[in-house]
Amino acid sequence: MFFKKMLNYKCISSFINDVKMKRINLIIIGAIALMFSANIAKAQDNANKLKFSGNLLTDERFLLQAPNDWAWNENRLTLELEKKFNNDKGKFYSEVWLRNIGLPRIYSNADLYNKNIIEPYNLEIREAYVQLYGFLTKNLDLKIGKQRIAWGTADKLNPTDNLNPYDLEDVLDFGRHRGSWALNLEYYFGRNFSIQAVYIPVFQPANLPIGIFAKALTPTIEMPPPFVLKGFTDEVLMPAFNLGESATAGAKFKGFAGGVDFSLSYVWGWDGFPIGTYTTITPADTFGEVNVNVQTSFFRQHIFGADLATSIGGVGVWAEAAAFLPENDVVMTTDFSAMLPPGAPGPGTEDSVVLKKEVFFKYVIGADYNFANGMYLNFQYMHGFINERGRDALNDYFFVQYQMKFFEDKLKITPVAGGFIVSDWGDIKNNYAIIYAPELSYMATDNLELNISAALFDGKGNNLFANFVDYNMLMFKVKYSF
Amino acid sequence: MKISVLVSALFLILGWNANAQDAMEILKKMDDVMYAPKDMSAVTKIVLIDKNGKEKVREATMSQKGTDKRLFRFTAPASQEGIATLSLPNDVMYLYLPSFGKERRISSSVKSQKFAGTDFSYDDMEAKPYAEKYTPKLLKTEGDTYVLELKPRSPKSAYSKLIVKVHKTNYYPTYMEYYDKGNHKVKEAVYQFEKIGEYWNAKEIKMTDLKKNHVTKMLMSNVKYDQGLTDDDFTVRKLKQ
Repeated sequence: MFFKKMLNYKCISSFINDVKMKRINLIIIGAIALMFSANIAKAQDNANKLKFSGNLLTDERFLLQAPNDWAWNENRLTLELEKKFNNDKGKFYSEVWLRNIGLPRIYSNADLYNKNIIEPYNLEIREAYVQLYGFLTKNLDLKIGKQRIAWGTADKLNPTDNLNPYDLEDVLDFGRHRGSWALNLEYYFGRNFSIQAVYIPVFQPANLPIGIFAKALTPTIEMPPPFVLKGFTDEVLMPAFNLGESATAGAKFKGFAGGVDFSLSYVWGWDGFPIGTYTTITPADTFGEVNVNVQTSFFRQHIFGADLATSIGGVGVWAEAAAFLPENDVVMTTDFSAMLPPGAPGPGTEDSVVLKKEVFFKYVIGADYNFANGMYLNFQYMHGFINERGRDALNDYFFVQYQMKFFEDKLKITPVAGGFIVSDWGDIKNNYAIIYAPELSYMATDNLELNISAALFDGKGNNLFANFVDYNMLMFKVKYSF
Repeated sequence: MKISVLVSALFLILGWNANAQDAMEILKKMDDVMYAPKDMSAVTKIVLIDKNGKEKVREATMSQKGTDKRLFRFTAPASQEGIATLSLPNDVMYLYLPSFGKERRISSSVKSQKFAGTDFSYDDMEAKPYAEKYTPKLLKTEGDTYVLELKPRSPKSAYSKLIVKVHKTNYYPTYMEYYDKGNHKVKEAVYQFEKIGEYWNAKEIKMTDLKKNHVTKMLMSNVKYDQGLTDDDFTVRKLKQ
């Protein structure tokens, strides 16, 4: 009995020991599994966590001419958020600008109660989109949201880059665009070819220069004698916000063959700059002063683009061209009926075509070279600037840049940078502009860049940069990246 | 007399040919060791040390297939994060700057310049086999190394010659000297190799610019070989992702 009891006891205790061991083993296995899964989760978290980065930029400029007016004051915090997901087959990205821009415009005590007037600021979403690589099929990428769709092989000056509206608030930073809310699909044929289709449902116009450059793109109104302009008003007619009326669409075929990158593109959309289509002149008094009201509107156009880039004998070469075809003639009606005496014959209005329904071409040709001693030379010729329209209104621009690098790229000096513009080859000395913009950039630390530059203008005649002759300025920028 | 001169000359020629073949054989074996993997990916840390000992660090991810496809993407510092280069056959190179939102084709003349402020030129970073770029000559043996003199085949090379020490047993380079067109020694590189699986990996390369007294250390970690990378991993599409 005893032995039976002992045996039973032994069985039970071994059973209990077995169970305990199994339990311990299970606990150990469970703990190990937990550790692994925690590590896996942590690894996934690290790989897929939301990434913050950005930069802090201060951009200050003052005119060289006494009394050295402050020309630009911008303090910008750029925040970039990025998160990859779906095993790196997807990405969310956003870029936001928080800015204090401009100078206080205080005219009354009431203004002192408004911080927005004392410290003008704005918040801008530059981009915010989701991108999927291999959407539905492994060769199709999809991008939805507010995005910058940059087309063209040239540097900064891209006649084929017409999907996003121009951001011309800083006219010296030409080539800047705002993002557009768009549906963007790109399908890849093999490794060297792709076709891209873009649909932008809502038209947004270009924004124009601010501050001292505010009148840079506004044509002056000259009244024939004996009339004198007293008052001026304007209004802008926007396209209707509906599916057909306000959309922009584009397509691009891109390829690489024989060492040459090339693309062909097409955009159907609105030109981002309004054109005057109805002007009303009314007398302001009996002394010859008049009021003018201009109604402006946007016009639709077809844009056919092509570009290429390659390297020949170590020299980088690129060319880009776009053919613009307005859908219709853009007609300006001038209504001066109020100026006519009662009973005067005639309709009192006059039509003139300000932009013909005919193709005009803008193009850029450029080249660059890297010297063994670290120097860099870049040259571009452009026919037709971003705001120029029509065959007879396109000027010629020659840009050059020569940059030297020192101390392992810590210091960059660009002693030669600028452009020469010709607006009438038949009378160059009265129709030209020169821009000289030397620059010195120093990386004080890995992430802190200091930049001093100048912009000096000279010119005459009817071109954009000739209007800046009184705006020679010194510029100072600090940028910290994080 | 004439016969003995001829025989001596014959032996000299044969000896020279044997020397040339040995040198080429050594160089090809060195290429085999350095470029044996079908593909490779790694995390790269670049340490720049100036003459005062001050250090700056760059970090990047790198992937490579064969000897003529490479994708390099900076991950640090913040000012360079996201900047990437794609190198393809026939001197086709692209640069991607996130702030521009598009790729830019860069001219082959950039190869003569220094890579990202380091003491390595783009040419130094190129994964082209040395046997294709240089004509070798065996100078001597020194301890456990062969010492080769390499003369560039292309007149466009920035160098007049390289002196390379190749490990006798494992055929990886241990040391290189770079001479400019004036035959002055301008740079030297020291290699440290370690075995990862069946391949020798250059875990550290220390390049010194003798004129500027500036050092760049390139350290590789998290190295993975033969992961089955395809040509699709070295495209402009991938560069922009």
